[in-house]
Amino acid sequence: MRSRSAEQTARAQRLIIVSLVAVALGFLLVVQLRSQAAVARTLATQDDTSVALLINDLNRANNQLIQQSTALSQQEAELRQALAAGGGDAQAIQKELTRLREVTGEVPVHGPGLEIRIQGTIMDFELQDALNSLRNAGAEAMALNGYRIISSTPVQSRGNTLLIDGHAVRTPLSLLVIGDPEQLGPAADLSASSLQTRVQVEIQRQTELAITEVVTPHPLIYAQLGK
Amino acid sequence: MTVLASVSLATFLVTGLAATQFRSQPLPPSNRLARDEALRQSVNQLEDQNRTLKARVQGLQAQVKAGEDESANRSSAAQQVKAQLDDQKVIAGLTPLHGPGLTVLLHDGTDPNDPADHSLGWTIHYQDLQDIVNVLWASGAEAIAVNGQRVVPNTAFHYAGVNILVNNASRLSGPYTVTALGSPSSLASGLGNPDVLAELKSRSRIYGLGFSWVRGTRLSLPAYDATFLVKYAQPLS
Repeated sequence: MRSRSAEQTARAQRLIIVSLVAVALGFLLVVQLRSQAAVARTLATQDDTSVALLINDLNRANNQLIQQSTALSQQEAELRQALAAGGGDAQAIQKELTRLREVTGEVPVHGPGLEIRIQGTIMDFELQDALNSLRNAGAEAMALNGYRIISSTPVQSRGNTLLIDGHAVRTPLSLLVIGDPEQLGPAADLSASSLQTRVQVEIQRQTELAITEVVTPHPLIYAQLGK
Repeated sequence: MTVLASVSLATFLVTGLAATQFRSQPLPPSNRLARDEALRQSVNQLEDQNRTLKARVQGLQAQVKAGEDESANRSSAAQQVKAQLDDQKVIAGLTPLHGPGLTVLLHDGTDPNDPADHSLGWTIHYQDLQDIVNVLWASGAEAIAVNGQRVVPNTAFHYAGVNILVNNASRLSGPYTVTALGSPSSLASGLGNPDVLAELKSRSRIYGLGFSWVRGTRLSLPAYDATFLVKYAQPLS
């Protein structure tokens, strides 16, 4: 028969062990639950579809950047060639100047694209969404009812009147977009589908469009060169 | 005996759980997680490639500029066009700028966890950035950047799933800052006009979404971190 003190020691040992096991289990359980929560949070913010769409956009952007590198290498080669022949190449610089003026909307342009006709009243944010979506699809030049539009062109609503850079435009609206019609088409269709519940939208692919309107850049008053 | 049994059971349980824990880390418990992990790795690789490509474009831009400078030194015709080109680069957003202006600060609000509220009004959407940028242009902004990404003539904001992307798939994440150069008072009164950004302002009140602005006397904007390709538009002669 065990003594009373030996029995007490055994009970104490058992208690300690049970406590240790409980602590160990509790610790592991907490680690397990926290790691699951972290995974769940990541999945919640970046579901498979989001990640797949991001991959698609990154691939497209990286291809664009590769094309930009190729164009810049070619531009540099032209400049170097002229310099090696003993002169400065004003033509190569002129080419870049013209390209930048096309981008900033300062020269009339022509090319393939879409003509989007909208019959009815739309709000500033609806036009903004459509312009933004077309720009994302590679629109290179846009004009609405005789006003050239670049990203810095303000689009506002005053009541039911749409203002482009402060100028009122009235229905029917005719939006000309130059770019790859294959890319622009789906973007225009998407914008049209959200507008078509209220207004009539007609999209026509064109092999040749002319945008003769230009943007006059505002002089910089506050901004100065350099970081 | 009892003690030994307890120790054995404890060791068994702890080892078993530890083993589960270790197994669950390198090998996700389902294909879904494995696939998701693979997709995220692809994003990391593509974003690394994106950064490398942008650095390459910037390096080439510097080399082209050196060639143009040299050309301008050799020919007066080239020098004349080069001066125009330098001005055009400023307009296109290819040069860094500084000056007075205003910084808009935005952050997500609190998810109301209300099953009846499917609006996602508590988060900042790309349309909010687009609308703010539009109001700033209308209020006389001379140049704008969003989270350090310069807004250039062909800049578009859009969603790739939950991600807000701008300029060659640059991923924007909150908190968001929209920096504009221009008259600080004109920019502030533009944003403060109760008729504009009314929906964003009401969401700010309802969900605690952050939308504020501070004026600055010397703000810096970076240059656009890539260049422009024009493939379809041709100048009309």
